[in-house]
Amino acid sequence: MIWLTWRQFRAQAITAAAALAAFAILLAVTGPHLASEYATSKIIGCHGFACSNAADAFFDRLAGLDTFVYLFGIGLILVAPAIIGIFWGAPLISRELETRTFNLAWTQGITRTQWLAIKLALTGLAAMAVTEALSLIYTWWASPISNSTGLSTSGPQLFSQGKFSAVIFASHGIVPLGYAAFAFALGTAAGALIRRTVPAMAVTLAIFAAVQVVMPLAVRAHLVSPSYTTASIEAADQVYASLTADVVPGHPDAWILSSQALNAAGQPVSTIPAACNNANPSGEKGGTSPITPGQCMQSRGYREAISYVPTSRYWPLQSIETGIFLALALALAWFSFWRLGRRRA
Amino acid sequence: MSAVIETDGLGKRYRRQWALSDCTLSIPAGHVVGLVGPNGAGKTTLLNLAVGLLAPDAGTIEVLGGVPGAGRAELSRVGFLAQDSPAYAGLSVADHLELGAHLNRGWDAGLARDRVERLDLDLRQKAGTLSGGQRAQLALTLAIAKRPELLILDEPVASLDPLARREFLQDLMEAAAEQELSVVLSSHLIADLERVCDYLIVLVGSRVRVAGPVEELLAAHHLLSGPRRDPATLPDGLEVISASHTDVQTTLLVRTSGPVLDPAWTVSQVGLEDLVLAYLSQATGRRRRDSHHHLEVQK
Repeated sequence: MIWLTWRQFRAQAITAAAALAAFAILLAVTGPHLASEYATSKIIGCHGFACSNAADAFFDRLAGLDTFVYLFGIGLILVAPAIIGIFWGAPLISRELETRTFNLAWTQGITRTQWLAIKLALTGLAAMAVTEALSLIYTWWASPISNSTGLSTSGPQLFSQGKFSAVIFASHGIVPLGYAAFAFALGTAAGALIRRTVPAMAVTLAIFAAVQVVMPLAVRAHLVSPSYTTASIEAADQVYASLTADVVPGHPDAWILSSQALNAAGQPVSTIPAACNNANPSGEKGGTSPITPGQCMQSRGYREAISYVPTSRYWPLQSIETGIFLALALALAWFSFWRLGRRRA
Repeated sequence: MSAVIETDGLGKRYRRQWALSDCTLSIPAGHVVGLVGPNGAGKTTLLNLAVGLLAPDAGTIEVLGGVPGAGRAELSRVGFLAQDSPAYAGLSVADHLELGAHLNRGWDAGLARDRVERLDLDLRQKAGTLSGGQRAQLALTLAIAKRPELLILDEPVASLDPLARREFLQDLMEAAAEQELSVVLSSHLIADLERVCDYLIVLVGSRVRVAGPVEELLAAHHLLSGPRRDPATLPDGLEVISASHTDVQTTLLVRTSGPVLDPAWTVSQVGLEDLVLAYLSQATGRRRRDSHHHLEVQK
């Protein structure tokens, strides 16, 4: 059965290996330039304000190709599980039913359960391996950029996404492995249920895309317990008087879940108090006040209450999310076994 | 004589439609059994149940004394050739033999190779480019080389041209004789069955209309023709299967255990095709009468 699985999977496996190799070559070609720019930028070993300048300068020197590879890599890692689900998962059972070759496969001297178990295990492992390999080599390539992201204050918006931002989180660490397993099992189950390849592919894509949207928007924030802090409004709210926190003082790369400005009495406020409203942000002449609204509110006892996920919980969050997707994949695989076991060929 | 397939009240439902219902039959070992019946009689469903591709919704089925398709042992003992002999279009003939070798413990590689050579199949050719006859031969090779005790074929020659059909059946006969296989094949081409089968089962609407060794069936049925006469006046022991009348003459196909002695009848031998058609039209005639009756009641 291992032989048959390989024989039927060979073309896809070669395609995937070729794609992985092409991506690796692209990274190997552009990686040294990125690394040397990083090395000469003096970000390593920097202190305080110099780091911000060094990071800004580093981002300025990145070539168009670097930017392209940076975005392309993220896109590829996010799309790879969907492609696997559509082209490896969905046809796994449905094509056998459509071409009626199940008549041949399931009447040889091996049970249908064994047939599916070996197909699912081998193809599923390949799916996880390919996706995780993409993610690992990309993480290596992009490390100069991800090391600098938290330091830059005025760098391009493109590179300001921290490790907890939706697309960066989903394309790094171990979650791509979970997505790949899930998408593959989803495609297989859709094929077993719908029994026709093309509709199964469409359903796989629709469900996987929906899950990938719902996960960061509605689920991920609830997977680990947040930390709470009350910080100086001046330090937390770096955008001019937005009253929302942009950084957690002391936790530069933390994921801010929510923030709320509070007055001296601890009551939530949503507008800048009148007394500070005409404070001059830059202290220029013509302003009625020599201080910024932030300093003004700070002096009147305003604070910023923040709930956030610190970077120390990055790997627990990665593990939990990966575990959820692996569990979903197992449930979908079980469904496929059940569907086949009912012997409604 | 032991049974290769034994069913009792067997039924299979697709959604609300029963494709096979309350089917009770016993197929003896050591024969080449022809299963014949009109479309929708449940032949394909019955054979799929017998190889374990389907599970029954009612009743029981035993194949070689076990539950069909239950495990490796049961699967290994039965060879199956599905309708239109499906094969993996992208895999070569050699790949298919390799597939058989990897999936079957009792695989007879020498037998498979000899057959492919004798049939002039190109090992490198993709199954998708084989002719219908060649594909059927390849599928038969797979089914035989796993060394089953029972070979089940569902309409194996329906899509083949007459020459390919003849070669296929010839080849099947030789293989069955060499390996002492029990064979069950379904077909609606009675002429083909006549050539290869020594046991016949006529299945209409899930029911066995007639079953038995072909020779016995032929010996027990006679075609009688004589002056016009009401079949009801015939002596006991004569079962009328079909009757046709002209103004002056009556022709009957009857089943009887002894010889027909009445000198008023001209007795002649009946061919297998006429015999089967008589049973099939008997069934449809009954059905027609039933539905007619039904209409009158509704009025």
